[in-house]
Amino acid sequence: MEHEIQLLWLAVVIYVITGSLAIFAVVLGKRPEKTILGLLVLALLVHGVSIGLRWARLDHGPYLTMFEILSSNVFSLLFVFALAYWHYRAIRPVAAIVLPLMFIMMGWLMLSNPNPGHLPPTYDTTWLVIHIMFGKVFLGAVLVAVGMAGVVLLRAAGIGEQKFARLPSDRRLDDLAYRFMALGFIFQSLMLIAGAIWAQDAWGRYWAWDPLETWSFINWIVLGFALHFRITLKPAPLWGAVLIMAVFILAFLTFFGVPFVSQTPHQGAI
Amino acid sequence: MFTNMYTWLLRLASLKLTLVIFVLFCVSVVLAYFTRWSSAWILALPFSLFAVNLSAAILSNAAFRRQPGLLVFHLALLALVILLAISRLTYLKGHLEVSVGETFRGELTEYESGPLHPWHLQRARFWQGDFTIDYAPGLNRDRTRSQVRWQDDNGLMHEAAIGDHYPLILAGYRFYTTHNKGFAPMFIWYPAAGGAPQQGTIHLPSYPAHEYQQALSWNIPGTGHEIWTLLEIDEVVLDETRESEFKAPEKHRLVIRYNGQRRELRPGASILFEDGRLKYAGLRVWMGYAVFYDWTIPWLLGACVLTVLGMAWHFWRKFSARPWQAESDN
Repeated sequence: MEHEIQLLWLAVVIYVITGSLAIFAVVLGKRPEKTILGLLVLALLVHGVSIGLRWARLDHGPYLTMFEILSSNVFSLLFVFALAYWHYRAIRPVAAIVLPLMFIMMGWLMLSNPNPGHLPPTYDTTWLVIHIMFGKVFLGAVLVAVGMAGVVLLRAAGIGEQKFARLPSDRRLDDLAYRFMALGFIFQSLMLIAGAIWAQDAWGRYWAWDPLETWSFINWIVLGFALHFRITLKPAPLWGAVLIMAVFILAFLTFFGVPFVSQTPHQGAI
Repeated sequence: MFTNMYTWLLRLASLKLTLVIFVLFCVSVVLAYFTRWSSAWILALPFSLFAVNLSAAILSNAAFRRQPGLLVFHLALLALVILLAISRLTYLKGHLEVSVGETFRGELTEYESGPLHPWHLQRARFWQGDFTIDYAPGLNRDRTRSQVRWQDDNGLMHEAAIGDHYPLILAGYRFYTTHNKGFAPMFIWYPAAGGAPQQGTIHLPSYPAHEYQQALSWNIPGTGHEIWTLLEIDEVVLDETRESEFKAPEKHRLVIRYNGQRRELRPGASILFEDGRLKYAGLRVWMGYAVFYDWTIPWLLGACVLTVLGMAWHFWRKFSARPWQAESDN
């Protein structure tokens, strides 16, 4: 277990260096984008090895204890963000918003108990893994959208107009952010479907309005509302950004808050 | 008249109405979550409005003719709403308990069902064989394997081990093992007036959830005798410190109270009444199952998958038609 923890710490240190560099780059108007991407990939590799070692040792994926859930989420969210960072060069400065957001999750991770939990038989199924994977892509896509929504909001508040000047216009950021929200909607729908299949197998019901299911469904409705709102009323990018933030906050509370208050067997966070 | 109808159709197809329905959905789900009201009834209004809004939009909005992905997405959504309504009308969800060696004959301990449920649970008979439930240290429940036998419509016998993720499916009903199980003292009643002895078990409260409440009052069937039964276990059934298996304890006593008397029974011992003799035949175990019936499940899954495929197709076409950096009004 020591090696896993040491590698995790190393990955977190590299993430923090990467995030700090992204912030300094925006503040000082520099563009060390290749270095940031290289560091991010390095941190993901180290983190991936840490998760892999634990998976091999415990013979189950990182989805049981809060430590595992946070660790795998930091990994998956930053993996999705790294892909977006690599592919969409024009939006790379949003790393200065996304990575500090992830610092909160990393802090929580480092404070959580790394001891293994007991894998219930109902969790020993491929459908759970598929359900979780879809959920992670959903959250990752929303996180990338949050980065762009953050720029729109900062600009509107008169804080980052100059610092984010070389990013595309608010309208273009809003357009791309909503593409990621649409991707998130598809994967959230898939997550709910795979979850229903798992629940049917595990507990003999595909849907039972348990707290996590209820709040996931509310989350799905709010995301659907946000997409429909944009198509129907064509709001200013500022309102689009506010809705993206609302979806992200609700998703975060659903997947990391509800498991703490839920008394049902469906305890897991994605 | 047709113009008037078309105007109404356009109003019902309004995208702004869709937004209102989204809000209504949210309010209804929150209401169902925080109250004890039936979620099916609370959600009936937004679902009905949604179906009307969707149907009107599909019929009147030309965008659906131009965008096949969008059409598939919305048609599948409409099918999903209709299937969910049918599902609520015909489903059954319940619980049952069967002792080892007994046959399930359709009696449920509790259930809820739609008003149009076909009720052919009698056809889903099965015989309960032995079952094992493993426990990991810390009293963490592990694997469950339950042996069951049943006869198909052609009279052929079948046997299977069901358990986690493997339900028994009979006559459309799906039987799932649950955490619910316990001890079942078996009695035989010999009537003094003659006649065939009657055998039966009583199901003591679930174990280990009610470890210290292994008692139950019950009536000997066909008599007026009320008996209070307590199971006293003289061994560790589930060891918290190591791996163990749920099974009936060998060292145990059955405490019986009736007519102000107290008796301790071992297997084979009897109590005499003026109208018969009650023999304690031994301790068995009972297994609790969840039963679920919903013939729409595969159709619901198909509609869900089609919805997502339609949505993905629509977004793919829409986004690939115009790069995100290209200027547009939207």
